[in-house]
Amino acid sequence: MSYRGRGGFRGGRGGYGGFRPAKQVSFELFPEIEGLGKAEYSTEHFKLIQWGHEIQKFWKNSPYYVKDSSQQDELRDQQSYIERYSDRKSQATKVTSHLSDYMELGPSYLPAELARGGKKRKRRVKWQVASDLREQDLFEKLLQKDQEQGDKKEDEDEEEDEENIEEEEEYSDEGDYEQGEYFDDDEDDFNKPESDDEGPIYDF
Amino acid sequence: MVSPHGILLATHIISSSYGEQCSKVCDCLLRHGILSLAQIIRFTELTKESVVNCLRVLFNQNCVQPFSSQREGGFGEAPRIVTQYIVLFDNIIHKLRAPKFMQIVSEELGSDCLNIFHGLIQHGRLSLNRIIERNEQTTGKTDVQVLKESFNRLLNFRFIERCPSPEPFLAPQDNEEPPVKKRGARRGETQEVLTVEQRVLEAATPMESLRFLVDVDFASEEKVEETHAKVTLGKKRKSEAMVPDEDVMGAGEKKEVLWRVNYEEFVRRLRDKACISYVKTRLNDEASIVLSAILELSKNSTVRHKVVESAYLSINAIYDEVIKKDGGIGMDFDHIRASLAQLGCTCSSADGEAYSIDLKGITDKAQSEEVESVVLKRYGREAYRIFRLLSKAGRFLETDKISDDTFVEKKDTLKILYKLWKDDLLDMEKIMLNGGKQVAFLLWRVNKGPLFEKFRDEMYHAALNLRLRIIHEQEQAKEVRL
Repeated sequence: MSYRGRGGFRGGRGGYGGFRPAKQVSFELFPEIEGLGKAEYSTEHFKLIQWGHEIQKFWKNSPYYVKDSSQQDELRDQQSYIERYSDRKSQATKVTSHLSDYMELGPSYLPAELARGGKKRKRRVKWQVASDLREQDLFEKLLQKDQEQGDKKEDEDEEEDEENIEEEEEYSDEGDYEQGEYFDDDEDDFNKPESDDEGPIYDF
Repeated sequence: MVSPHGILLATHIISSSYGEQCSKVCDCLLRHGILSLAQIIRFTELTKESVVNCLRVLFNQNCVQPFSSQREGGFGEAPRIVTQYIVLFDNIIHKLRAPKFMQIVSEELGSDCLNIFHGLIQHGRLSLNRIIERNEQTTGKTDVQVLKESFNRLLNFRFIERCPSPEPFLAPQDNEEPPVKKRGARRGETQEVLTVEQRVLEAATPMESLRFLVDVDFASEEKVEETHAKVTLGKKRKSEAMVPDEDVMGAGEKKEVLWRVNYEEFVRRLRDKACISYVKTRLNDEASIVLSAILELSKNSTVRHKVVESAYLSINAIYDEVIKKDGGIGMDFDHIRASLAQLGCTCSSADGEAYSIDLKGITDKAQSEEVESVVLKRYGREAYRIFRLLSKAGRFLETDKISDDTFVEKKDTLKILYKLWKDDLLDMEKIMLNGGKQVAFLLWRVNKGPLFEKFRDEMYHAALNLRLRIIHEQEQAKEVRL
C-alpha cells in the first residue's frame, strides 16, 4: 500500500498519481432550461407582489431583523475603512427602535429564560418605518401636501430655497484656498514690515 | 421530519426576513427537532444574548413554540422542569402566503380590516391596545369604535385568533402502554399516537370557546366610552379606551390578550376552493354547488388539518344552504341526492336522511392528478398510462398485467417501470417462484404517502429556486442602475 505513490512514478495504474490539468468548464449560475416556454407579462397579481415586497421591506428595517453588532464593529476596525460624513450623519439621525416597542417581553408573555422585566415604554413608537425614504421622496411628499393646501406652498418653497442656499454656501467653503478680495497673503501680523525711516531700535 | 428542501426554503425565508442569526437558530431547530436554550447555543455557536433575541423574534412571529416538560433528574435528583423549543415549519411557509391571505381579507372585509390584518402580519402578535395605537398612526383615524367593529368582523370570520400559550406544560406520556382503542369508535377511528409537535400545539392552543372571544368586559368597555364620549372628545377618548383593557384581568394581573393571524382558517378556505373547482371540472356544476353548501355548513366544526370526513348533515340543512348559492335555486331534493351520490357521500338513515362527504378522497384524487400530469410531462404518454393504472389500482401489479392493461409492449413497459422506480415514484418487489424452473415476478406499486412527500419537496425546491433567481435579478438590476 505504501508503494502506491512510488508506483505512480513508474506510470502506475489508472488515474492515480497522475495529475492532469483541470478542465475549465464555464460556470453558469442559472443555466437555460429548454422547453420552459415564455411567460406572458401580466399585472394580474401585481398587488400581491407589492404587498409581499412591502412586508419584506418592513421586516428588514424593523428590530425584527436581528443584526450582528460584532460584524459592524469588525467592519469599522478594518484598516481600509474610512469613515464618511454620511455615515456619521446617518448614525445621528437614525432612530433605532427596539424589540420592546412592538413586543411584550414580560414574564407572563414569554418563557422565563427569554423574558425581560421591561420598563414601560415611554417614548413614541414608530409604527410606520420611513427610514429608507430618500430625501427626494420626502420632498415630493411635501410638495403634494402643499398643492392640496395651496397657501403654505410658497413659504415652504422659500424655506427650502434658503436651506439649499445655506448648504451651498457651506459646501462651497474651501477654507484657505478661497481668498477674499482684501486678503493679502503677504500680510503677516506678527512680522510687520518696518517703517522706512526706522532701523532697529536698540536700547542700550 | 421536514424534507431537505423544505428546510432550505424555510431557512431562506427566515434569513431574508429576520437576518442570518435567526436563520441559524431556525436551521438548527429544523435539523435537530426539539432543543433547549443551552443546546441551541451550543449548536449554533452564537452568544446567549443573540440566541435569546432570535428566539424572542421567532416566537413573536409564530415560528417557534416553547413548552415546558418534566425531565428525569440524575442520581438522587428530583425531576426538573425544562423549557424546550419546537419550530413550526408550516407557519414559516405561511409567510410566503401572506399576500394571498391579505387579498382574501381585502376582498371579503375591506380596507379597514385589512389595515388591522396587515399589522398582525407584520408583527406576528399584537395586543388590542397596540393595534389601536398602530391604526391611529398609520391611518390617522382616531375613532376607536370603528376600529373595534372592524376587529370584531375579523373575529367573526375567524381570520384572527387568540395567541397560544407561551409555555404550555406537556405532561409526560407513558410510552409503554399502547394506545387503547375506544369502544364504539366511529368507522374505525382509532386513538392516534400524536407526534410531540401535535401534542405541544394542542396543549398551547386556547380552548375552542375562548379562541375567538374578545374579553368578556369588551361590552362594558363600550358603555364606559359612551358615557365619557359626551364629555370629552378626541385624544382623551383614546387613553380612556386603553385603560379599561388593562384593568380587566383583575388586581395585580395585567396580562393583555394577544392576537394573531389564524392560518387554519385560510388554509381551510383555500382547500375548500380547490376541492370545489376540482369537482366542478371533474363532475358538473351542480355537484360543485352541493359540495360548497356542505363545506359551508361544516366549516366551524372541522378539527385542525385532519379533515377526513365532514360531520353528518341532514338533507334539509343541505337543501337550505344550496338554495342560497348562485345557481342553486333551481335544484330540488332529487337533484341534490343525485349530486351527493356522484360525490360519493355516505348516507346514514339513523335520524332521517343524513349525509357525510369524504373530503380526503377528493383531495387525494386532486393531488394524484397533479402528480400524474407531472409524470406525463417528464416521462411521456406511455409512462403516464402506466402510472395512472398503478395509481388507481392502489396495490401491487405484475409487469405482464400492466403491459396488457395499458397496451404497451412488454420490454418498453419494463424500461419505463425501471425508470420510474429509479426516480422513487414506484415501489418494487421481486417474487421468486420455485416450480419446475425458477420464475421471477416483478411487482410494482404506487405508494401515495412517500410519493406526495417527494412532490412536496420538489415544490419547495422550485419555490426556493425562484426566490433565489428573483433576488439575483434584483441585485443585477441594482448594479446596472448604479
